[in-house]
Amino acid sequence: MAQYSRALEPRTEWARPFEKFWEAHRTAITRTVAVGLFLALWEWAVRGGGVNPLFLAGPIRVFERLYQVFADGSIWPHFWASGRVAGLGFVIAIAIGVPLGILMGRFRTVRDVLEPFVIAKYSIPTVVFLPLFVMWFGIGMWFKVMLVIVGTVFVIIINTEAGVSNVDRRLIETAKSFCANEFEILLKIVAPASLPFIIAGIRLGIGRVLIAVVVAEGFAATAGLGYLAFQAGAAYDTAQVFVAAILLGAVAITLNSGLRTLERRLAPWKESDTERG
Amino acid sequence: MIEISNVAHSFVNKGAVIGGLPVLDGVSLTIHDREFVSFLGPSGCGKTTLLRILDGLVRQTSGQVTIDGHVIRKPARERAMVFQEFNLLPWRTTLRNVELGLELHGRSRAERTRLARENLRKVGLGGFEGYFPHQLSGGMKQRVGIARALSTSPNLLLMDEPFGALDPQIRELMQIEMLKLLETEARTVVFVTHSVEEAIFLSDRIVIFSARPGRILAIVEVDLPKPRWADDERIKASPEFVKYRSQIWHMLKGELQRAQA
Repeated sequence: MAQYSRALEPRTEWARPFEKFWEAHRTAITRTVAVGLFLALWEWAVRGGGVNPLFLAGPIRVFERLYQVFADGSIWPHFWASGRVAGLGFVIAIAIGVPLGILMGRFRTVRDVLEPFVIAKYSIPTVVFLPLFVMWFGIGMWFKVMLVIVGTVFVIIINTEAGVSNVDRRLIETAKSFCANEFEILLKIVAPASLPFIIAGIRLGIGRVLIAVVVAEGFAATAGLGYLAFQAGAAYDTAQVFVAAILLGAVAITLNSGLRTLERRLAPWKESDTERG
Repeated sequence: MIEISNVAHSFVNKGAVIGGLPVLDGVSLTIHDREFVSFLGPSGCGKTTLLRILDGLVRQTSGQVTIDGHVIRKPARERAMVFQEFNLLPWRTTLRNVELGLELHGRSRAERTRLARENLRKVGLGGFEGYFPHQLSGGMKQRVGIARALSTSPNLLLMDEPFGALDPQIRELMQIEMLKLLETEARTVVFVTHSVEEAIFLSDRIVIFSARPGRILAIVEVDLPKPRWADDERIKASPEFVKYRSQIWHMLKGELQRAQA
């Protein structure tokens, strides 16, 4: 009885448009309300509640500070310092990881040789190597770049290998039937077929790049978003910690959605079910 | 002329110490130029394997295969294959898929495009050059597969159950279209199929294989008037066609029962 009583209920006409609007946008509305409530609670806790503003800045102060660092341009040197390390490390990691992954996926001997190292490293947190890199490269830019490379390259290798070894055997055979040699098979079949996996690996790498950059800058740096956060923490400037966090998150989201777009454009036939690791 | 003499093949079972799974045994056969020959037999009888041996994708365990006196060692430009699952590259458009073979044969870009367009038109897909495989129906995909094979102008066309993945009505239409298409460009065709009627309708000769390991059970010459595509309904209803069908089915049935047992 209760099941169909709702359908039989007479509805007031004026409620219709609201109902429609709600059905169309309910996710967006719920999210906005949740975030708004969270921010309000946060601000209230800092202003009137029991939280000491020394340990936690309210959201309004955080956004004021965010506006300020862009208005006076003081953020750009930090962006540049972190961006240089991240970009350099990431590009090198891709340049090493993709070819190695392809070779591992295609040639059994290469896989058998490299797999123990890949698995070993994949299980060890990258940060543990930081002291070594500082010893080898000093406390300049390169130990940071190194940390980024080591932190990122393995997830790229693993995804690339998964993509390459999942290439449809029948497509390879088709190319062979048309007299393709091994190089042509790699170029015309294996590379395009595993591209979605490679991009997924790169996307997974983004998060790792940022972690490596922040950790390295926390260890030794004179500029950078991670440096900004650690310095702010030491000075009890909690608003600045959040500014650094927001900017790092924004960078990650931007890169991620950029790569997603690229993935959809390069592999429109494939669903985004390619992530590993 | 293709000469298959005493070919046997076993699949090597990884990890097994002795022997392997024998799929072909003592197969000898001569295929003449411009002949349309079908391989018919129960599943697993090695007919597809023999086709792949003819292409050079698989090396037989023993025996010899020659084409015009040359031993087959690997795939060659004079041969092209049409696959049951179409095997189109999902990231390439129809046109670029047809170009694949030409590309691997080292043809110039201009020639590739010209030949690909020409062959797409021939299989009735003019105007579909920019479509991706996932936008095409099964029948259309196989037309692309056929255009890809024909565009390289092979002397020998190898077809591995090309219509096996299509629905029965489309299948009959494709048979008619293929005969029409092949009429204008005489070439040797070896055609693997499970369908007795398809084999009779298309072939000059039907090679019937036994259950595994495949041996040649019988060779049936199909003496039906040509062109068959022009009169397909009458031919399929003719007493001769029906006689071939029951004769071949009788042989196959015994083998199928043996294979099931």
